[in-house]
Amino acid sequence: MDLTAVSSAFLFVAFLLYCLAFIGFAVAITGRRWSNRSPETHSRRWGWYSYGLAAVGFVSHAVFFGTRWAAAGHIPTSNMFEFMAFLAMMTAGAFLLLYAFYRAPVFGAFAMPVCVVLLAYASVFPKEIQPLIPALQSYWLYLHVTTAAAGEAFFAVGFAAALMYLVRTVDFRRTWPRRGVEFTLYLGLVIAAFAILVYTFRAAGYEAVFREGQPAADKQSTGSAVRTVTYTLPPIVAPADGELLSMDPFLGLSRPLFRAPSWMNGVQAGRKLNTVIWSLAGGAVLYGLLRTVARKPLGQAVAPLISGLDPEDLDEVSYRAIAIGYPIFSLGALVFAMIWAQEAWGRFWGWDPKETWAFITWLFYTAYLHLRLSWGWRGMRSAWLCVLGFLVVMFTLVGVNLVIAGLHSYAGV
Amino acid sequence: MLIENTKCECGHQNPPGTALCEACGKPTGEADGNEPLPMRYEGAARRSQKAQKNAADRIWSFFSSVRTAVVLLLLTLLGAAVGSVFPQENTILNADAIDLAEYYRRQYGMVGYYYYRLGLSRTYDSWWFRGLLVLLGTSLVVCSLDRVLPLYRALSRQKVRKHPTFLSQQRISFRAQVEVGGQAGSADLLDRLAERLRRRGYRIRKDGDALLAEKGRFSRWGPYINHVGLLIVLLAVLARSIPGWSMDQYLAFPEGETLPIPETPYYLKNERFTVEYYREDELPETLRQKGAVVPKEYRTEAVLYECTANCDDPMKPPVLREVVRHDILVNKPLRYRDLLVYQFDFAETPQIVKVRPTLRNAVTGETIGKLELRTKQPETEYRVGAYKLELVRYFPDFSLDAEGRPTTRSPVPRAPAYVFRITGPNLPADGVSHLYLVRPADKETYREADLNRAAGSPFSLSVESMQEDLEFSLYTSYLNVRKEKALPFVLAGAAVFIIGVCIGLYWQHRRVWVQVENGELLLGAHTNKNWFGFRLEVARVLREAGFPTDPRAIDKGGKRSWT
Amino acid sequence: MEDMKKQKRWLQAVIFAAVVVLGGYTIVEGFRSPTKTPEVGDQAPDFALSAVDGRIYELSGLRGKVVLVNFWGSWCEPCKREMPAIESQYRKWKPSGFEVLAVNIGESAVTVKGFMEQYGLTFPALYDPNESVRKKYGVVVYPTSFFIDARGVIRFKQEGEMNEPMIERIVVSLLS
Repeated sequence: MDLTAVSSAFLFVAFLLYCLAFIGFAVAITGRRWSNRSPETHSRRWGWYSYGLAAVGFVSHAVFFGTRWAAAGHIPTSNMFEFMAFLAMMTAGAFLLLYAFYRAPVFGAFAMPVCVVLLAYASVFPKEIQPLIPALQSYWLYLHVTTAAAGEAFFAVGFAAALMYLVRTVDFRRTWPRRGVEFTLYLGLVIAAFAILVYTFRAAGYEAVFREGQPAADKQSTGSAVRTVTYTLPPIVAPADGELLSMDPFLGLSRPLFRAPSWMNGVQAGRKLNTVIWSLAGGAVLYGLLRTVARKPLGQAVAPLISGLDPEDLDEVSYRAIAIGYPIFSLGALVFAMIWAQEAWGRFWGWDPKETWAFITWLFYTAYLHLRLSWGWRGMRSAWLCVLGFLVVMFTLVGVNLVIAGLHSYAGV
Repeated sequence: MLIENTKCECGHQNPPGTALCEACGKPTGEADGNEPLPMRYEGAARRSQKAQKNAADRIWSFFSSVRTAVVLLLLTLLGAAVGSVFPQENTILNADAIDLAEYYRRQYGMVGYYYYRLGLSRTYDSWWFRGLLVLLGTSLVVCSLDRVLPLYRALSRQKVRKHPTFLSQQRISFRAQVEVGGQAGSADLLDRLAERLRRRGYRIRKDGDALLAEKGRFSRWGPYINHVGLLIVLLAVLARSIPGWSMDQYLAFPEGETLPIPETPYYLKNERFTVEYYREDELPETLRQKGAVVPKEYRTEAVLYECTANCDDPMKPPVLREVVRHDILVNKPLRYRDLLVYQFDFAETPQIVKVRPTLRNAVTGETIGKLELRTKQPETEYRVGAYKLELVRYFPDFSLDAEGRPTTRSPVPRAPAYVFRITGPNLPADGVSHLYLVRPADKETYREADLNRAAGSPFSLSVESMQEDLEFSLYTSYLNVRKEKALPFVLAGAAVFIIGVCIGLYWQHRRVWVQVENGELLLGAHTNKNWFGFRLEVARVLREAGFPTDPRAIDKGGKRSWT
Repeated sequence: MEDMKKQKRWLQAVIFAAVVVLGGYTIVEGFRSPTKTPEVGDQAPDFALSAVDGRIYELSGLRGKVVLVNFWGSWCEPCKREMPAIESQYRKWKPSGFEVLAVNIGESAVTVKGFMEQYGLTFPALYDPNESVRKKYGVVVYPTSFFIDARGVIRFKQEGEMNEPMIERIVVSLLS
């Protein structure tokens, strides 16, 4: 029996269960008016069913993790797919933990989608178990990645609670708060759109091939010869110095619309820019569709569902999540990272973009805690900071790989 | 001149600026009945709150304020972000040998050019970024000192019995009539509450009909501990610039060679280098199709020597003493004292290291003897049989230049050529000249036999077996030599930081004051964080003691007490 | 109370002094580039190497003279091409106080000696078997020439081949 295939099956099961749990939590809060039981009982029952589904999903997810570990011979956190899947698992775990204290089904209705979106994003990347290059063979790697992901998972949960707080309390008639909420929801849709687009085009077997090449000048770039670049999404933008070799036509488009600026000459820079453009556009389309259906700002459409929840509790949850996650994140993303970097590359800190952005994330949450604890920034201001903080976390995980190359880069799309 | 009256009605003289009497807790100023008491630092006076007389005081307040700290954090954040936009100068190979302005312009356009000109390509070494870190360090020190001393004094001197206003104006407070009258009844009630609190880990102190239950005081020191940790880290990082505390060199060690490590008294020999690649069946499909070669493991069998004599003498070879042997793998460096040698990279550089040709009489074919030649720094004198061979010319990569003169194309021994002057029996007094080309192909190309015959040499020099008489070195190992004396201190500081942050965030300082007086139970409670959980606990204690109440009812909420 | 005030003032003063000292050191240290290769205007780093003639040559021992420190290799074409020019200028201006130290990069003694004999060069050729002087001078291009004045300051750095008029011009200007 192929262990890898078995582990993938468990991941798929976890994905399904998270989706079902999301639906269950949504029913718990929306079905209140229709159920013939009392709203309290209905919501509590459905809350527990969904919690159960999420918990089983988490177990299944953990089995995926364990079996993949056995199949690969090393801890499965060594590429983008594995890391994101692990982050999704830790987020689910953090959610399950915090739900035990703050039993609000609507919390699940926000936290579960975060897991689902993270898994969807993860699944886009190459899934194959790859042999570890010597630099990655160290148990400090395991510690660094898992602890950092655990910390980030709590930040993710804090983000979910903060977003709920905002949706619950923002006055949607005021321009800037409304735009802020909508923009955040839009970004979530961008990631969902990214996953949907890549899956769709991959399933259709789409391909466009370019030839590009330039000499390497810095210590860290790997490509130095002329190479071919394959796009999985239709090329709106061609690589800066790329020459089109072949392209499947798409909607009558048979040539790229324009060229990437000449200073974008990193590894796969043109393809990454193309992916970013497609994701932003796809997110915009999704947002437009949902907004048309809802006929009002999305946040405002969702707000009634949360009206039963005490904003103070939401504020409390988001703060607690950050407070729990902060030491874990500091330990994993900074301390263990320094130890591992010293072991693998002989320098514990080199201002590598990934390291720098981990530091930036840490500085941000440090500022958040000071503002909250010493300056009394609660409620709306604290919630915005939590949302912004998670965007910083996502930039560290996604944006740095996409935009800035470095020793840390994983395989991209 | 207005002198502030700071004597409390309980008789205690408070320093100016005190919000709550140090002895009995009665608020010194006007008390707003609905707002909870300002419990910051127990209401004690902090130096920075006092009247600021001179510049020193003003500077102190500036650094002591949280606003300053937050602004500094955000500025550092932005600075670090800006530095991450384009690769920094220290990632560019041979940065000191190329025109950087031109490089940045070529790679990243005009934006890149201005990035370089503004010094942003050296962000993390820049005066302003370092300055920010210095200011953060100052803020850490001043903030902590300003707060921790008054806090410690206040907490260690706190009295059990407080003014009733102190209790009733806490954020969590509860008042109820007690049914059972008289002293005995109230003492019993107090004991019951004390017992319930003790069960939950509180330390109880009693003073007549007043009670103070406290737990988790140690968590108040968390922030100060973590600040100390951060300071240690900053100082350790600063210490790296002390000469000899840090080193980062990338050196090449061809197989078989012993080379010095600059700026140290050490030499390192690469005895053997081996690399193991992943087998085809160990690779995933896509890599297999590409025919990718992925190294699984590579190691340098290294010997570290210390120079004990003639270390700086250009005339004499250094005297070396072996100190340690280690197989250097990626992630498994060689460690000796505070020197660390990491496996960084390798290259395939096949070279001939030694040649062992046989000297023969070209006419009779008679074997005279064998000699061993090195291709780097070869010896100048050799004795074979009765003959003496003196090396007069050596070309590691032999060729003829445009004028037909012998020359070498490179310093790499790819096609070695030795020119000897051979003296001995039956030879002219000043010897004969003999050219020895190692590679058979070269012997053909340059007609070695003809040349030697024309020069009058009766000899032939050639290698008998390609396997046994030639020694190769196949690889050059790239090692990263590092010294990082500051690292243990950095990690120690980081550990202190983590401990401080855990203590501060995962535990809370909870206190409950209770007084039973004149048939009335008065309870006030305070925590520094997690009111949500605390009010649940207090409500539960009250319910167990016979006063069921809703957690929200006893919590005033309040804007000024946070979390 | 007065004692406490004095203590606090003293503490303040100590902290500010520490900040100024450590802070100043931190910031100034950032200006120092870790890999400082000698440039024009810097003092030429001293070294002592043995030469083909068996003697040891120290750069500081030539203080008071104009010195050309030339980094070369026997496999380097431009180095070979400029050698006759250097030799000619060496003979012309040596009596006036011009010296040449030709630092060979890591080649064997026999190669260096053979080269000097083959091309009839009389100026000192120095062995740098571990390339330590090359690294000290930050030389990555061959040939590289440093012209050093009588006070030991680098006045001109040339990366690449030189011709005779150029050498003469520089030497004359430094000798005067």
